[in-house]
Amino acid sequence: MFDLKKYRKKSPWILHYNAGSCNGCDIEILASLAPKYDLERFGVINTGNPKQSDIFLVTGPVTYRSRERLVELYTQMPEPKVVIAVGSCSCTGGVFRDMVNVEDGVDRYIPVDVYVAGCATSPELIIDGVVKALEILEQKTKEMEKPLKLFREATLENSIVNRRHTALKVGEKDEEN
Amino acid sequence: MIETLLILFAPLIGGLMYGFERKLRARMQNRQGPPLLQPFYDMWKLIDKQAFIVNPYHTILGVMHFITLWIVVAFIILGQNLLYVIFLHLLSTIFIILAGFSVKSIYSHIGSNRELQAMIAYEPILIMVAVGFFMKHGSFDISVIRENGALLASLFLLFLAFLMVMQIKLKKSPFDATEAHQEIVGGVEVEFSGVFFEFIYMAKWLEYAFVYLLLMLFAGNNIFLGIGLFLGVFLLVNLVDNATARIKMKHLLRIVLAIGLTLGMWNLIGLAYV
Repeated sequence: MFDLKKYRKKSPWILHYNAGSCNGCDIEILASLAPKYDLERFGVINTGNPKQSDIFLVTGPVTYRSRERLVELYTQMPEPKVVIAVGSCSCTGGVFRDMVNVEDGVDRYIPVDVYVAGCATSPELIIDGVVKALEILEQKTKEMEKPLKLFREATLENSIVNRRHTALKVGEKDEEN
Repeated sequence: MIETLLILFAPLIGGLMYGFERKLRARMQNRQGPPLLQPFYDMWKLIDKQAFIVNPYHTILGVMHFITLWIVVAFIILGQNLLYVIFLHLLSTIFIILAGFSVKSIYSHIGSNRELQAMIAYEPILIMVAVGFFMKHGSFDISVIRENGALLASLFLLFLAFLMVMQIKLKKSPFDATEAHQEIVGGVEVEFSGVFFEFIYMAKWLEYAFVYLLLMLFAGNNIFLGIGLFLGVFLLVNLVDNATARIKMKHLLRIVLAIGLTLGMWNLIGLAYV
C-alpha cells in the first residue's frame, strides 16, 4: 500500500524555541540552517509556527518563566512530533544546574527524543541530531503524547484568563501527595 | 482535451514550479537546496499529520480559497473573460482574508490586514492591465487575446507595473510583508494545520500558475516569446527576491500605488491618444 509514513522524514519542519539559552546554541542552529551547512537540502524549513512543525528544537536550561511557554508550544504541535534538546543546558541544566531560577533541562516538562550535547553544540552535531530524530519520527504514531507536567487550571483574575502559573513546579505534584 | 488535462494538473504544475524555484533560489545562494519534488513530499507529510480545527468557518474558508483559485486558473486556461477572472481571483483572496479574521490569533489578524492593504495596491493595476488589453483588442476575452499578436511592446509600461504585482502575489521580497515568515509567522496561514494547511499550501502553487498564466497573455499568440518571457521573468523574480530586503507595508502601498498606477495610467493614456 502507498505508505505515507516515509514522507515524514523527507519534509521535517522545525520549530525553534529558546528556553532561556545564552544564544550560543541558537546561533549554531541558525548556522546549520544557513548556506554553509544547509539543512534545507533535507527539506527542513524553519517555520516558527508550532501548528505546522514536526521537530521541536529546544535550547536553554528552561528557566522558571519559560516553562509554561515550553509546555504550551509543545501541546500546540500536531502529532507526530519529536523533541530535540540542543546543548548541555537543555539536556541536563548544564552549568546552571540546581540554580534557583532554572528547572534543570527540558525533560522535566516534555518527553525528549534526542539529546544533542555540547556547550555550545556544533552545527554538525545538530544535523546528526535532526537526522537521528527523523528515524524516530518515522516510527511514531499519531497518538497524543502528554507533557510530563500537566497543566493546572487557568485562573480567572478580573475576568481575564491568567495562564501565568498553568504549569506545575518541579516536585509540586509530589508535595501535594 | 488538453485544456481539461491542464486544468486537472494545474496545482501539480504549480507545485513543480515552486520546487524548481526553491532549488534555483538555493543555487543562487550557493547551496544545494531541497529536491525538486520537495513540495509534494511536504504535501504527503501534511496529509499524514494531525489537524487542529480552530473553528469550522476558518477551515472551510481556507478550502474555499483553494477551490476558487483553481476555478480562476481553469477560466484562464479555457480563455474566459479576463475581467471576470480578475474579480474571481479577488473573491478567492477575500476568502483567505475572512479566514484570517475568523480566528483569535493576532498574527492572523495582522496578516489579513496586510493582505487587504496589498489588495488595494495591486488590484487597480490588474484591472488596468485588463483595460489595456481591451483597448487594443476591443474585447476582454482571453481567447481573443491569445489569438492576436504579442502586446508586450504596446503595453510595456503596464508590463513593468505587472512585474511589481507579481512580487506581491508570489510573496517575494521586497514586497512580502503580507506573509513575513520571520515577523508575523506567515500571516493568514498561521492557524492552519495538517491537511487544511495543505490546501493553503496548494493554493500557493495555484497562485504561481495564475500569475504566470497572466504574464503569458502579454505574449499573445507568440509561443516562443511566451516561453522566453516566462523564463526571463522567473529568473528576474527570484533574483530580486534574493537581492532585496523586505520593506514595510506602508512603503509597499506607497511604492506600488505611486509607480505602478502612474506607469499604468501613462500607458492607458498613450493607448487612447496615440
